[in-house]
Amino acid sequence: MPTALSSVAVPARRRFRLSAETRGIKLMLPVLLLLVLCFLVPVITLLLRSVMEPTPGWQNYAELLGSQTYVRVFFNTFMVAGVVTLITLLVGFPTAWLLAILPQRWSRLMFAVLLLSMWTNLLARTYAWMVLLQQTGLINRVLMALGVIDQPLALVNNLVGVTIGMTYIMLPFLVLPLHATLRAIDPSTLRAAAVCGASRWQSLRLVLLPLALPGIASGALMVFVMSLGYYVTPALLGGTSYMMLAELIAQLVQSLLNWGLAGAAAFVLLVVTLGLYAVQLRYLGAGRSEMGGR
Amino acid sequence: MNAAKPIRTRLALLAGISLLAAAPAMAESLVFTSWGGTTQQAQQKNWAQPFSAASGIAVAMDGPTDYGKFKAMVESGNVTWDVVDVEGDFAYRAAKDGLLEPLDQSKLKGIDPRFISANAVGSFYYSFVLGYNKQAVKGTAPAAWSDLFDLKRYPGKRTLYKWSAPGVLELALLADGVPASKLYPLDIDRAFKKLDTIKSQIVWWTGGAQSQQLLASGEASIGMFWNGRINALQHSGAPVGMSWKQNLTAADMLVIPKGSKNKAAAMQFLAYATSAEAQAKFATETGYAPVNLQSKTKMTPAAVKTLPDQFSASQINLDMRYWAEHRDEIAKRWYAWQTQ
Repeated sequence: MPTALSSVAVPARRRFRLSAETRGIKLMLPVLLLLVLCFLVPVITLLLRSVMEPTPGWQNYAELLGSQTYVRVFFNTFMVAGVVTLITLLVGFPTAWLLAILPQRWSRLMFAVLLLSMWTNLLARTYAWMVLLQQTGLINRVLMALGVIDQPLALVNNLVGVTIGMTYIMLPFLVLPLHATLRAIDPSTLRAAAVCGASRWQSLRLVLLPLALPGIASGALMVFVMSLGYYVTPALLGGTSYMMLAELIAQLVQSLLNWGLAGAAAFVLLVVTLGLYAVQLRYLGAGRSEMGGR
Repeated sequence: MNAAKPIRTRLALLAGISLLAAAPAMAESLVFTSWGGTTQQAQQKNWAQPFSAASGIAVAMDGPTDYGKFKAMVESGNVTWDVVDVEGDFAYRAAKDGLLEPLDQSKLKGIDPRFISANAVGSFYYSFVLGYNKQAVKGTAPAAWSDLFDLKRYPGKRTLYKWSAPGVLELALLADGVPASKLYPLDIDRAFKKLDTIKSQIVWWTGGAQSQQLLASGEASIGMFWNGRINALQHSGAPVGMSWKQNLTAADMLVIPKGSKNKAAAMQFLAYATSAEAQAKFATETGYAPVNLQSKTKMTPAAVKTLPDQFSASQINLDMRYWAEHRDEIAKRWYAWQTQ
């Protein structure tokens, strides 16, 4: 009897789930349509330009990958995005953890601070960092007045400046998804680890980190991908030796009018980014558990 | 619905009246696009508003100028800009690429011959000047571009324009002793070699506001600037000075994108904007020089003194035609050198 029952029940449940899924897709149609019209079509046009301008062929890709400058800029872009992601993780994980365990009153306040910075104009924030970090800026002046240093530190117009500025801007994009994941972790798992004799370090490494991994992965990927395409902050806080791809693409589009090459650069960046996303989906299963579900 | 109707009618009436009051019988209109900021405000106040009052043609403002957008508009045939303020080398290049309408030369009178061509007429002209922070510079004030490269006498960061554009290569060559008459064609290798001597001390500025911030704060002690920007800093009381020696001039140009739907109105606007009177008023307000040769007679002597053309003896013209032809190859070398 039980076998007969289950053989009836399973298809029924499956049918129900399927119809819910199709309903979901129908509801998504407006968004999909918007994305196709406003994103996919222009992207495809851009790609076509990269193989059609100035003459049909692969010459834009050949120029892009054959030129030391462009290769260097590609390398810079991934290097800077990597460094920013790493530092954002190092700062963001404790922040998210604190947000998850603090009493609500305090965590609300912290959230407000975090979101307030996110809602402030990007350009204004970047200029603020410029003023803070420059040689005659607040940070250098205070350090020199305290006698910590006698020469101003080079904090801006170099990799340090870009990393500081971008980490600050990216922080909410890591903390928010990570916080959701951490909140969903049952605190009793940590208590259980402690009861079983795990040290703090062991329960962090063996319990908390693995459980938080989906949140870490999706947050880090978001930060990394956003950093790859960043323009304003590197342009203002970075020197030229770490010029990033977005700056070069902007120059090609707006001032050199070389849309073929710009399209090729944008396409290569897109492919690499999608590749990274695929890797993450394959090995870490982002999306399934990113917003607090387990 | 019924209750709302009278209110809506009244609102429409009000709107209609206020429109009428602002601009009597605006049958025609055009869109003027420029770079924003104080410069475009001055263009609106001294060109667009009096033009509308006199001609009855409404002028809507847009911006900032974006060459990518410009090209896309002309290519798609959906041109929403009628008059655009562009840089000199773009004007030449766009003319060559067929992106511009020809101008009715008979309507343009008294223009400095340097700043007029078949498809473009000057908007205003400016100079790259040597600027310095008086507190950061000790001893005699720097004067020539060679002082910018003298790290011993003038230590500290120097700030230069970041993008591949007319200016930096020229001043490096001048500093290296190339006479102004032999600047073009540019000896790019030589220019980069000269720039290498200060490369570690360069802070690049990407826009006018940033250049002002760098100099006024003393972050950079010396650098190259648009003269109007130093002018503005001095007016605000910042301890900065400038040298007009070997000042490098370039003009912004006004153009009509190919396929503009209001060509006739646009041409009228160009004639007005480049007239002696309108140019004089704009120059008085901004410190940028008029492109109309008759404008100076309509300005106060004090205002005339601040203009780049007071220093024509020490003036060097940036060759926009050369740049229009070589911009791509120079850009390649430029970014290769910068990212090294």
